[in-house]
Amino acid sequence: MAENQAFIEIDNITKWFPHKDKKLLHIGQEKQWVKAVDAVSLQIRRGEILGIIGESGCGKSTLGKLLTRLEEPTSGDVRIGGVSTRELIRRDPKQFRRKVQIVFQNPLDTFTPRDTIEKILMRPLRLHHIGKDDAQRREICLKGLENGGLRPAEDIMSRYPHELSGGQLQRISIIRAMFLEPSFIIADEPVSMLDVSVRADIIRMLQEMSRERNAAVAFISHDIALTRYISDRIAVMYLGKIVEYGDADDVIGNPKHPYTKALISNCSSIDPEEEQEHIKIQGEPPTPVNPGPGCYFAPRCYKACDACFKKYPDAADFPNGHYAVCNRTADN
Amino acid sequence: METVLEVKDLCVTYQNKSRSVYAVKDVSFSINQGDSLGIVGESGSGKSTLAMAILRLLPPKTAKVTGEAYFQGKELLTLDDASLREIRWKHLAVVFQKAMNALSPVHRISTQIEDIYRQHEPKATRQEIRQRSQELFQMVGLPDRVYRLYPHEMSGGMLQRVAIAISLLHSPQLLIFDEATTALDVVTQGQILEEVVRLEKALNTTRIMITHDMSVVSASCTKTAVMYAGQMMEIGQTRDVLKRPMHPYTQGLLHSFPTLTGERKTLESIPGSLPDLSVEHAGCVFAPRCPFATDRCHAKRPAARQMEDGRTVACWRYGGESDG
Repeated sequence: MAENQAFIEIDNITKWFPHKDKKLLHIGQEKQWVKAVDAVSLQIRRGEILGIIGESGCGKSTLGKLLTRLEEPTSGDVRIGGVSTRELIRRDPKQFRRKVQIVFQNPLDTFTPRDTIEKILMRPLRLHHIGKDDAQRREICLKGLENGGLRPAEDIMSRYPHELSGGQLQRISIIRAMFLEPSFIIADEPVSMLDVSVRADIIRMLQEMSRERNAAVAFISHDIALTRYISDRIAVMYLGKIVEYGDADDVIGNPKHPYTKALISNCSSIDPEEEQEHIKIQGEPPTPVNPGPGCYFAPRCYKACDACFKKYPDAADFPNGHYAVCNRTADN
Repeated sequence: METVLEVKDLCVTYQNKSRSVYAVKDVSFSINQGDSLGIVGESGSGKSTLAMAILRLLPPKTAKVTGEAYFQGKELLTLDDASLREIRWKHLAVVFQKAMNALSPVHRISTQIEDIYRQHEPKATRQEIRQRSQELFQMVGLPDRVYRLYPHEMSGGMLQRVAIAISLLHSPQLLIFDEATTALDVVTQGQILEEVVRLEKALNTTRIMITHDMSVVSASCTKTAVMYAGQMMEIGQTRDVLKRPMHPYTQGLLHSFPTLTGERKTLESIPGSLPDLSVEHAGCVFAPRCPFATDRCHAKRPAARQMEDGRTVACWRYGGESDG
């Protein structure tokens, strides 16, 4: 496959959840929907890391689950190498689960607490018939742990998850994902539970996966500085929609959407001499129950005009594939 | 300037039947009126324990606290319960990480505020309290209707603002924020930090901010203290400590933070992990993970030493012998 071709194609994917109304009687009322992910289209190339940022409740984790088909989309599709994931998972679920891996936020919840690390690491290898026999699989595990900086590997293998630190466990969950040589990895807030001094290792492992093994990576996070650091491209989500997309440096260095601007301006820098002007936006993101018809961000936007409330804006294009879904990008 | 809080050689040891683990060891610092001190450290560095010890919130059966902590001349650690009640909330208030857990879920905000207010002003009328909370709500940017709401009717950001407003009820001289903005979204956090800094100037309060996020400290504190494994590594003016870190641990921490602007410097981890705090370490507690460690570092613990710019560093690379 050519380098520049999209490997993962997210095509108009939508996930609606039924909204549970607190009222007892809703006869004659139309059913309400929470639009967690609303017509999202994105592409990821091989060897590329796409950062997805947004505040809590914007639907970024739901998007991650849709990509792995842990959730069935309401409409739309995800294609890997041109083939729909629906088709892929029907044809060969085991192969699909091998090629698409997800790393979750809390490593303590990822592992069975009553299994040793050895058991945890060996299981996927056995399931996918990697290695001739258990002795060889053990070798693979030990090597993986050594390479991941978990030494002494023999000792680690005999431990239980609760005996290891969060950083170590998260490294193990990435190592376990790497054994299966996935071509698409979704990392859902992989470092937000970890201490800063051990984050860099996890980040480096993810970068290696994408560069050396040519895997596509979706990095979901609320940490903007970190996402800029790791990603090639960044998509900003607000209430289930992508509001801005482009090269990481373009989006962070030269944001076009008012929401992205507000997000970035409210990020504190670690440089105490850097003076910052915080852009104020009112309130917090509402629940996406029947938003619209205008721009979803308009009620909180400091630039909104009448047109913004009437119709959902079209994307405004900028160089390098950078776009922002906003009416008011021109007068910046 | 008047010293609000002075802590001397504070140690906290958690004990159970079989062993004891120290969480805070020989920590000394002082804060002047109007200062804001950010205490940063990773999980397990003892920063929260330090705050809890100062507030006397640790269970006396399992946590042994030694040392001294003077708050406006009063020794907090030996104060009797009645005098402690007098100080709490009136002079010394705290905001915790999870405001949703700090507020009672079955009472309206109004009831809770009245309750707290009457602890120190038993004769206060409803109107008085209402008026006072109205002022405070305005300060922290909350709509007035919040007063009649239950906690579950509000978002996390609003609850955190309520918690901050409540902590300010009696205009305390010292405020302690224990990861008070950590659970919030970027935009809300940025706005609350700005509010807090502004309020502080207006009310001339002193603040201790406990956090793991260096950027929070950089945005809102005048002084920074870095803790590791229960010990104070470096303390000084924020612009000195964060711009020109001296202690290898501070340097390591700063290297592992990505920046939002400028070129992408390679992030570096600090190799290794926290030492076992149940055993006594002869040398510097950071030495096993320190890239500059020498034999001396492993053999003897460096004393905190004052530098020319006023900061204090505990490291053999910068003396460490003198002063004690």
